[in-house]
Amino acid sequence: MAEIRLVDVSVRDGNQSLWGATGLNTAQQLEIAPVLDRIGLQALDFTSSTHMGIAVRTHRENPWELIRLMRAAMPNTPLQFITTGFRFISWETADRDLMQLVYCKLVEHGISRFALVDAMHDIPAVLDAARMIHSAGGEVLVGLTYTVSEVHDDAFYAHFVSEVAKSPHVARVYIKDPTGLLTPERARTLIPALRQVLRGKPLELHSHTTIGLAPLTYMTAAELGIDVLHVAAGPLANGTSLPSATRIVANLRELGHRVDIDDRALAQVVDYFTRLARAEGLPAGTPQEYDAAFLHHQIPGGVMTTMKRQLRELRLESRLPAVIEEVQRVRAELGYPIMVTPFPQIVCAQALLNVIGTERYGQVPDQVIRYVIGRFGRPTMPVDPNVRDRILSLPRTKELMEERTPTLKELRERFAPGMPDEEFLLRAVMPGDQVDAMLAAGPARRRYNPDSRPLLKLLGEIARRADTARIVVEKPNFRLELS
Amino acid sequence: MIIRRLLIANRGEIAARIIRTCRRLGIETVLAASDADLESVPARLADRTIRIGPAPSARSYLDIAAVVRAAKAARVDAVHPGYGFLSENAQFARACDEAGIVFIGPTAEQLEAVGDKLRAREHAIAAGIPVVPGGAVASVSEAQKLAERIGWPLLIKAVGGGGGRGMRPVREPAHLAEAIELAMAEANTAFGDSRVYLERLVLSGRHVEVQILGDGRDVIHLGDRDCSIQRRYQKLIEEAPAPELPDGLRQAMHAAAVAFGRRLAYRGLGTVEFLVDREREEFYFLEMNARIQVEHPVTEMVTGLDLVAEQIAVAQGQRLRLRQSDVVLSGHAIECRINAEDAALDFRPSPGTVTRAVFPAGAGIRIDTHIEVGAKVPPFYDSLLAKLIVHGADRTQCLERLRRALANCRIEGVTTNLAMHAAVAGSEEFARGGVDTQWFARFWQHVAGGGGKAEAEASRAGGNHG
Repeated sequence: MAEIRLVDVSVRDGNQSLWGATGLNTAQQLEIAPVLDRIGLQALDFTSSTHMGIAVRTHRENPWELIRLMRAAMPNTPLQFITTGFRFISWETADRDLMQLVYCKLVEHGISRFALVDAMHDIPAVLDAARMIHSAGGEVLVGLTYTVSEVHDDAFYAHFVSEVAKSPHVARVYIKDPTGLLTPERARTLIPALRQVLRGKPLELHSHTTIGLAPLTYMTAAELGIDVLHVAAGPLANGTSLPSATRIVANLRELGHRVDIDDRALAQVVDYFTRLARAEGLPAGTPQEYDAAFLHHQIPGGVMTTMKRQLRELRLESRLPAVIEEVQRVRAELGYPIMVTPFPQIVCAQALLNVIGTERYGQVPDQVIRYVIGRFGRPTMPVDPNVRDRILSLPRTKELMEERTPTLKELRERFAPGMPDEEFLLRAVMPGDQVDAMLAAGPARRRYNPDSRPLLKLLGEIARRADTARIVVEKPNFRLELS
Repeated sequence: MIIRRLLIANRGEIAARIIRTCRRLGIETVLAASDADLESVPARLADRTIRIGPAPSARSYLDIAAVVRAAKAARVDAVHPGYGFLSENAQFARACDEAGIVFIGPTAEQLEAVGDKLRAREHAIAAGIPVVPGGAVASVSEAQKLAERIGWPLLIKAVGGGGGRGMRPVREPAHLAEAIELAMAEANTAFGDSRVYLERLVLSGRHVEVQILGDGRDVIHLGDRDCSIQRRYQKLIEEAPAPELPDGLRQAMHAAAVAFGRRLAYRGLGTVEFLVDREREEFYFLEMNARIQVEHPVTEMVTGLDLVAEQIAVAQGQRLRLRQSDVVLSGHAIECRINAEDAALDFRPSPGTVTRAVFPAGAGIRIDTHIEVGAKVPPFYDSLLAKLIVHGADRTQCLERLRRALANCRIEGVTTNLAMHAAVAGSEEFARGGVDTQWFARFWQHVAGGGGKAEAEASRAGGNHG
């Protein structure tokens, strides 16, 4: 029987998988932070460069301020930032010095743990990023990205883990299963294979509930001595997110494992997210049925949500099955990239254009071109020769091949001297007007009460009516009068 | 260290206030209650309630052994003492330490350092903070010598006193000997400590205090409050920031308060009280309150902070979560202490059962209370029913909101001082801002027509206290 620790992913991956990463603003996270801190988590999966960008764009809130405030509100729980190691907010590959500055600033504001995930499993690139993060003062958790393919067998993963575990800059390793494909059966061979080469470093498991496998696989993993399981709370669990913390804890204890958390705090977190989801009209994740077809397209939750939204905006919702079908084809043609950020976005964007456009590859996004010319590293399998030739012959490809990542120094020169690093980093990778709008909006609200939302909305609507002079709300022993 | 379960060793509105923050932080609350409070609103709000003794506070809220027993029985991680009762009791803080329970407040040593007025004053002098000229005396002859140096009029204070008790003004040399003897005898009876000290009596003084927060290493201030509206040294109305205060003076007071906290390596919330001499435009250190204050909400309204949460954070051993530059003051806030007392009968307490309670609501309005219809106001404790706190973009808007809020507030079943608050809020002098500590007595005498004579008399002592 094992002692199992938890990482809660509600605000980062839960929010991203179920609420398009836009579901939680600063106040909504801060309000529950002290309670999250009392659960006794190994870490909180907290933010990413995607979430930082959304804070600016969607909420007009300063992501650096949010990190600082969360750190202050959660002194006992490491806050995790997830990164591919080669980009920050923008989809462009960033300059190495810029990434180093990003890591240093993140650590300074309160990020102490970095999940480093390069889906290409490019060992030198991972080790380089790990060294940079570690030198900035962050703990490095390297992710292997789980998928089902001919290449990605136990030996492949064991080799990767063996190499990264040798690095003094890597503290822990996790199995990142972004599409929830890991079965209990495979866990029985994979986990022992990894354990052998980990040099005693802890192993964590992060598996999405997309096709309902993860809750079962987690029990097997516990039996095999996994150290940490990643879970989500209440409505932010299940669906294309991760297993429910409450259920996993109950099941682990039922099987005789020890999970030392504050159940009361966890229940309060679940209750809060439940009330928030109801107040904001956000969907709650539901347990998923096993879906054999999913094994083919492997589209992660967050990307699926975005794709559905895009189709809805184009009023082409009915084409979803065709797009999913096309995703499988494009993925094969691009050499089976693992469906984890940024690759599903790249594959899905191309698939979407192939379906709604007049011909396949008639329009090719820059990111697809960059992928084919190797800007994201070497594809695990070669790109289909026909597709490759077509893309290489595009005039845009020539332009992009000459494209060079601006250096930190060059970027600095574009902005006023003396600009604080935090603002500079946002301006360097985002449109200036978005940063201007965020700064103009002033400091974010810090308190949020889901229970007052419906009432405030109702009162707001009534107050707008010109024919109402007085509002009285009355019940036994209570009377609220507004005039 | 993480506080997961906390005992509240207090009652009334502050108990409800602490529970509210604990709930938000995910901390389980256990209320220590006397027989008189077992069915109170805080008892219902808390996750659990433990009876600690009969109604009289000496046998419940002031009984260190009973409170520590309750804390141990409930297996709490920490005790929040609120204000009053055991909040500044070093012996209690020590008893908590010994039981392995976090006392939410400063260290026992710090409580001792500021609890003794003479020692607090020595610390102020050592920190370079101006104090009212004066000193301790052990005899009439010493007092006479010192009085000549200080000048007239002057004030005699009991070293062990507080809350305005044990203070006595002396206007001319002829009355000094008698006053000293009387004061020493009284001090001995009241506080078991006959030591007294003399100080210069400031004729027109304002009570301005600075809120500080320390983590045992760093200290910052959270702005100031004016508490000059007092009756017999009991604060009635407080506001933040202090109005009509010259900028230089305000900044010097903030710096002095921080310097005082730094000297003690202070941990927790504290209030450094100053007497502002209106004529000389100077300020003097009065004392430090090493606990959360009744009037803390006005600071919360202008800073946007939750002071109880900050208090808990530093008690957990966390470093300050705020830098001085993070503390941004916005707008103006005023608090009215709504007491169950009868202004027509010399503000006599009016215990009973509340039969109607209507509190105002709206933009900028906050009510801190433990009162609802059917709530009992026991005769054993202070008569505070509720605090009406109003915030506005500036003092003018704040006052407008305050007047409207007071007009919409109704409490029946017990007599309250609501009419008195409405009178003050409506007065032109108060609206101008910056009145001294004697103003209320004069004002009330005028309003009540002679009824305020006693206040005028007592307040002429200078209101060196709060």
